[in-house]
Amino acid sequence: MLSEMGSQLIDLCSALLLLTCFAIVAQRRLAACVDLFALQSAFLAGTAALVGFLTDNHHVYVTAAMTGVVKVIVIPVVLKKVIQRLNVKRELVMNVNVPVALLICGTLVILAFFITRPIIPLGHVLTRDSLAIALAIVLIGLFTMIARQKAVTQLVGFLVVENGLFLGATAATHGMPFVVELGVFFDVLVAALIAGIYTNRLQDAFDSVDTSHLTGLKE
Amino acid sequence: MLILFLLLFVGYAAGALLPFCFPAKPRTQSLLAHGCAGVASGAGIVLGLVGLFSPEPWTVSVRSTVPFLSLAVRLDTLSSFFVFTISLVGLAASIFAVDYVSELERKVSIGALGALFNGFLLSMTLVVLADDGFFFLIVWELMSVVSYLLVVTEHEKADVRYAGLFYFIMTHIGTAFVAVTFLFLYQASGSFSFEAFRDPAHRLPEDIRTLAFLMALIGFGTKAGIVPLHVWLPYAHPAAPSHVSALMSGVMIKTAIYALVRMYFDFLDGQFPWWWGFVVLMVGAVSALLGVMYALMEHDLKSLLAYHSVENIGIILLGIGAAMIFQSHGLKELAALALLAGLYHTINHAMFKALLFLGAGSLLYATHTRNMEEYGGLLRRMPWTGAAFLVGAASIAALPPTNGFVSEWLVFQSLFLSFHVPDMFLKLMMPLAASILALTGMLALACFAKAFGISFLALPRSPHARRAEEVPVSMRAAMGLLAVICVGLGLGPMVVVPLLDRVVAPFTEVSIAGNILAMDGWTLAPVSVEFSSLSTPAIALLLVAMGALGMALAALIGGSAQARRYKTWGCGIALSPRMEYTATGFVQPIKRVFATVYRPAVKLETEFLEESRYFAKRRHFEFHVEPVFQKYLYDPIIAFFTTMADRVKVIQGGSLHLYLMYIFATLIALLLFTV
Repeated sequence: MLSEMGSQLIDLCSALLLLTCFAIVAQRRLAACVDLFALQSAFLAGTAALVGFLTDNHHVYVTAAMTGVVKVIVIPVVLKKVIQRLNVKRELVMNVNVPVALLICGTLVILAFFITRPIIPLGHVLTRDSLAIALAIVLIGLFTMIARQKAVTQLVGFLVVENGLFLGATAATHGMPFVVELGVFFDVLVAALIAGIYTNRLQDAFDSVDTSHLTGLKE
Repeated sequence: MLILFLLLFVGYAAGALLPFCFPAKPRTQSLLAHGCAGVASGAGIVLGLVGLFSPEPWTVSVRSTVPFLSLAVRLDTLSSFFVFTISLVGLAASIFAVDYVSELERKVSIGALGALFNGFLLSMTLVVLADDGFFFLIVWELMSVVSYLLVVTEHEKADVRYAGLFYFIMTHIGTAFVAVTFLFLYQASGSFSFEAFRDPAHRLPEDIRTLAFLMALIGFGTKAGIVPLHVWLPYAHPAAPSHVSALMSGVMIKTAIYALVRMYFDFLDGQFPWWWGFVVLMVGAVSALLGVMYALMEHDLKSLLAYHSVENIGIILLGIGAAMIFQSHGLKELAALALLAGLYHTINHAMFKALLFLGAGSLLYATHTRNMEEYGGLLRRMPWTGAAFLVGAASIAALPPTNGFVSEWLVFQSLFLSFHVPDMFLKLMMPLAASILALTGMLALACFAKAFGISFLALPRSPHARRAEEVPVSMRAAMGLLAVICVGLGLGPMVVVPLLDRVVAPFTEVSIAGNILAMDGWTLAPVSVEFSSLSTPAIALLLVAMGALGMALAALIGGSAQARRYKTWGCGIALSPRMEYTATGFVQPIKRVFATVYRPAVKLETEFLEESRYFAKRRHFEFHVEPVFQKYLYDPIIAFFTTMADRVKVIQGGSLHLYLMYIFATLIALLLFTV
């Protein structure tokens, strides 16, 4: 009974994660994108905690807490500061416009479910559908990086990819070894900081955070 | 033997590490590095001699945790011979380097140079000692990389960097072929140990054997410098510091000869079709002839010597190729003779080429230029260097009674004995190779008449030469050592031949020392005394006697004549360096005769006086030999790769989004593929 309900709850949380992804794809305002990312991370932390509770793996609580600290608080604060300094509020030009992007994301979700179909019956009962959703989030994150031109949104896309991987890992294994998760957190934090600095540099060099200017670096 | 080997190893290791304990003291660093190298190579000389005399091969093996790799070392007579040769040249180069590196003090770190020098010697020694294919490849590669680093010692010069890059690419192409050869052997035997390679139970399939033969010839041939893979030598050898050039040209390229002999006579157990030997023979003949012909046109002393390395590798391969032909026809005694001749020339070339490179280094040290046209009159200023260089020049030009003469004579004999081969085609071709060798010898003589005459005789051609002074004692000692060895190897073939026979006998399964040495013990006679025989001590005695006779006659007949000291051929005119024969002028007749090979481009522009066309105001003369191989073989290949690279560059749009797109598309495709 409990596991039945737990499974439902985890599916719900995963679905909410996916929903925030769509919201990020549809959102033009950078600050809102970052907020949505924070929200997604909060859902992720909730999912992780739930998995920890249902499977009695206590170290997953720690990772859930760290997700809360690093991804809900630290990284969004850093990104907000970057946005303030750069004074870039909106993304006006996109490689793919919003309606088309949403359609493509829908296709990606279907694709993810299609791809994971053969392996889903092999997974744990508790977190079956989460794997497909995790893959969908990874693909959407990657697509965001392609579709957007501002470095900040690309960074958000990268972090969404990471969230998807984290969800997949938690869902498939009920939490990776603790050391591995610590390592991943550290990597993400460093990546976010580096990307923040990179964005600042980009602004200094091109007076814009539009990464398509980088084409000029080609010989 | 283990103690000697450890002494050698520890010596080189200490030489590589100790200099770094004394930063900013180049003199101490140089003494330490080259002192350790000297001790270690001394141990190597003894190790080589002990190995030559020991009846059984000595092995030691350390297992490593790396898969496939075992650090196995084996010292049989062939390895001993090469360890001895490498160590002997190493000793001379170490002595030479102590003072020579002071020249480079301000430009490079002497500690690093000394460390690399030790590493180079150690890696070469390990190459000839390795008893495991994987281990061999590692030390072979180490040798290549360390020698590259030594070549680019003076890396602030653009041409040195270019030479280094060229060498680096060529040597890695060679290593690729070598690696493939070893993988073939591994596939057949299931193990990387040399013991498994030579086990007849793991014979390669026939077509793979042929492929392995060709791969090994290309792979090791690149290192040895056979035509047309020789192009890196004239770049890399002049660019390196001279004591390193002596090692590279004297012994590094010989490690390839070692590997070829090991490969063909040991791993492929000396059983092969006749045409393998014929291919090696032809490669040798072409390398010998073209090597010396291009050497003639070089006026950069070190490039000239580098081209002579191509020539001498060719002569060595003539011996080895002839041995392979005899072996395939079951003529074991003749095979032994030809292989012995090739190996004799190997050690001889190591000695005189090292001597000549050290001589060139001394000239560079004294005059700061490598261009022969700026030398002249150096014999008076640097008599010791001049004398040593003369011995080296006589050896390389195969003049009796020096060592080059003996080994080339033996190569000739083995080629003449081809009438024993039952094949008519080979009966015709092998004397042809002998005649090419004769032509090569003649051209080499002309080349060193030029090199010695232009550099050391007549008047100084430049202020550099006028200011030259004799080099420090250690450099002279190193050259003297090698010069004495050159003469010794020439005068004492009856000592050398039985030793080399021990090297050759395991592969040809027959001992021929008794056949070669005639009854009196002073004469070499490969077949019978009636057919041909040679006694260098007798020639030397004769030469001395003739000289004495001439002097005596002169004293007897012209004793009363008055001696008057005056400029030679002066005829009353004040002689100036501008009247001298130049190197370019010296080779002019040869250039004309072989114009088809050289394809010379001559440009002569004359500016006349306005008043009269009978008086020239200024003349400008330019002369180039066309670099045939570079132009018709290498340039098209390089152009092909550049074009292909340009085409591939299209996908590299420079856009971040495009790259992300590639990743995305690949990911999706792979995911779909797995479903």
